[in-house]
Amino acid sequence: METLQFKTNINCGGCVAKVTPFLNQLENVEAWKVDTNNPEKILTVSGEDLTCELIQTAIQKAGFEAAEV
Amino acid sequence: METLTIENQQKITIPVTGMTCAACASSVENVLNKQEGVLECAVNFANETAQITFNSAQTSPEALKKSVQAVGYDLILDTANAQVKQAELKTAHVQSLKNNVVWASILTAPVVVIGMFFMEMPYANWIMLTLTTPVLALFGKSFFINAWKQARHGQSNMDTLVALSTGIAYLFSLFNTIYPEFWHSRGLHPHVYFEAAAVVIVFIMLGKLLEEKAKANTSSAIKKLMGLQPHTVWIIENGEEKEVELAQVRIGDRIIVKPGDKIAVDGKVLSGTSFVDESMLSGEPIPVEKTKGAKVFAGTVNQQGSFRFIAEKIGGETLLAGIIQMVQNAQGSKAPIQKLTDKIAGIFVPIVIGIAILTFLAWFILGGQNALSQGLLAAVTVLVIACPCALGLATPTAIMVGVGKGAENGILIKDAESLELAHRVNAIILDKTGTITEGKPTLTDSFWVENHETQKSILLAIESQSAHPLAEAVVNHLKMEGVKTRLVQQFENVTGRGVKATVDGENYYVGSPVWMTERQLSLSESPIEKWQLEAKTVIVFANETKVIAAFGITDPIKETSAKAIEELQNQGIEVYMLTGDNAHTAQLVAKQVGINHFKAQVLPSDKAAFVEELQRTGKVVAMVGDGINDSHALAMADVSIAMGRGSDIAMDVAKMTLISGDLHKIAQAIRLSKWTVAAIHQNLFWAFIYNLIGIPLAAGVLYPLNGFLLNPMIAGAAMALSSVSVVGNSLRLKLKQL
Repeated sequence: METLQFKTNINCGGCVAKVTPFLNQLENVEAWKVDTNNPEKILTVSGEDLTCELIQTAIQKAGFEAAEV
Repeated sequence: METLTIENQQKITIPVTGMTCAACASSVENVLNKQEGVLECAVNFANETAQITFNSAQTSPEALKKSVQAVGYDLILDTANAQVKQAELKTAHVQSLKNNVVWASILTAPVVVIGMFFMEMPYANWIMLTLTTPVLALFGKSFFINAWKQARHGQSNMDTLVALSTGIAYLFSLFNTIYPEFWHSRGLHPHVYFEAAAVVIVFIMLGKLLEEKAKANTSSAIKKLMGLQPHTVWIIENGEEKEVELAQVRIGDRIIVKPGDKIAVDGKVLSGTSFVDESMLSGEPIPVEKTKGAKVFAGTVNQQGSFRFIAEKIGGETLLAGIIQMVQNAQGSKAPIQKLTDKIAGIFVPIVIGIAILTFLAWFILGGQNALSQGLLAAVTVLVIACPCALGLATPTAIMVGVGKGAENGILIKDAESLELAHRVNAIILDKTGTITEGKPTLTDSFWVENHETQKSILLAIESQSAHPLAEAVVNHLKMEGVKTRLVQQFENVTGRGVKATVDGENYYVGSPVWMTERQLSLSESPIEKWQLEAKTVIVFANETKVIAAFGITDPIKETSAKAIEELQNQGIEVYMLTGDNAHTAQLVAKQVGINHFKAQVLPSDKAAFVEELQRTGKVVAMVGDGINDSHALAMADVSIAMGRGSDIAMDVAKMTLISGDLHKIAQAIRLSKWTVAAIHQNLFWAFIYNLIGIPLAAGVLYPLNGFLLNPMIAGAAMALSSVSVVGNSLRLKLKQL
């Protein structure tokens, strides 16, 4: 199990809902969470064999941006 | 959903799902406003609805739903609600019919008494007129409305006959009540036929009420099918578990399934393992193991494990929604068979009108003095006498008795039509699991290397702990033998293999023969191979070093099945078997019960397609099944029969239910149908015969001989006699041995 963190522009509950299907599709992802209270909007992803590209592509597909912390 | 229509312009209020913030609401609003045909749209985020004004010639709610779905939200078009409303309308219809019958009867009773016995009392005609008017104009108005509708298309049915004869009887009597001098001045005595008009209306309405009661409410099956989905679902949202309404689940949501949960939508397992009861799809009673990557389906039931899956199909896209849709379509698409009484009336009405005209002409030409008025009187009497009041009772009384007779014999019949049709069945499709077989895995064979009570109790202890669906069969068998259980120290599930447990410090294994071979145990002494050839599932019980016992588990064929199938085949009925099970098992079962035509591994929709295929070759098809997976085929078949121990939904869809599940009852039901239909034919004969004799009398054929003209007393007697004959003949059915 590994954990990755990203700075994102996933700002509110509505944005979270938009990225949900994209992140949920990734079978390697066991769990993920966006801390929207944090000004940096930190996305924490945990799972097996995770790569930054994998997560970033998914976020971009949803129309948002993610940068590695 | 509220609808307001101004020509093509429609204004609807529809619930919107999936909106999480005000930005979502404006996004939905933008999308809808951009659609062609949408004139105005306002989305309310607080109560999650969209108010849309659109031109129904340019777009439809379905098209709007698609456009909203494309941007990740959804509109709820409430088709289910429409079904429920339809059912309510039907109940209201039966209730109003009942009220009409009660009130019409209350008013008619004194009319009959006066008409029969107190004709000479003062103001008799006026009292009868007052009482009869509401019976025709208010409670029986539907006959006149229906008759008018038929007449506009140049057709006639039973309603035409009723409306024609009661209408003319009433108008004629009305005229005679107000202006009797018209006839007196011509030396004729005018009769009034108020009681005939009122009694016909009451009797035929009573018949309709009996028939409505014998029909069942089909929408409850749809309601139950929808009830297979849970109302709320646990999803993981932004890392936290959250309970949401089913309608809010979206594609891509991760859903948590706990032990015993119903699965909400179609999807793919992400993590965890469990057994899921998929009998609603396959009809097979043994739950299916689900591990990562396996597909799960809405409406199936999780057993003891728990897992997470990702939603792939929701709402109207799920397999369950497909089944609901298909059942609805099949129920709605079947054309009702034309009632025999309507057919007869269709021929009878023109003949009667012809006779009436002929009568009038004959009198007019041959009548001499008073020819015109005598002719008019005779022609009207012909029309009045023509309608047999027992006509309305002929079919319903026979069916009520038939249905009652069926119930006494464990055959529940919901729908009169299927009772009328069953005797014409020449192809029967039987489902395998639960119909031909018991539908429950049972331990049928056991082999113990050495018979030892301690080992039996160890096995019972282990299997009682197991979540595997077949363990129950072993537990049931051992408990029946009176084996006592003991304590298990350690217990471990080995996925796909079996279970491992420690009892009294020693390790034991219960599982598949493959696992035992992997553990290098010899199985050569046991009859495992033989059992496997017989399509039985084999379970082996072993310790560290050797096999202790082996068991064959199967779904046994009902004792009565083979004989019952032979009986049907002897009657010249083709018998087919359809099953979701594999070809090998299907072949074995088919052979044992003597069925030549069978199909294995069929999906629910394939079963229905097969019914249709047989129907297209001109066969009258009966479908017999017990599961939700049979419901589409049941709805499709001409005669549908469910097993009393099967699912509620199959029983709701099917028009007949065999309480005991004994297939012998099918032949009995067919026999019952034959007798009932025969009784209906006899009843129609009795209903018409008196009136057929009455018509020439009314026309005045005996007048030249002895001056005899039909008087109301004889008309009344004919009415009473035909009713008594019809009811008596129906009751005769009760005495027959099925």
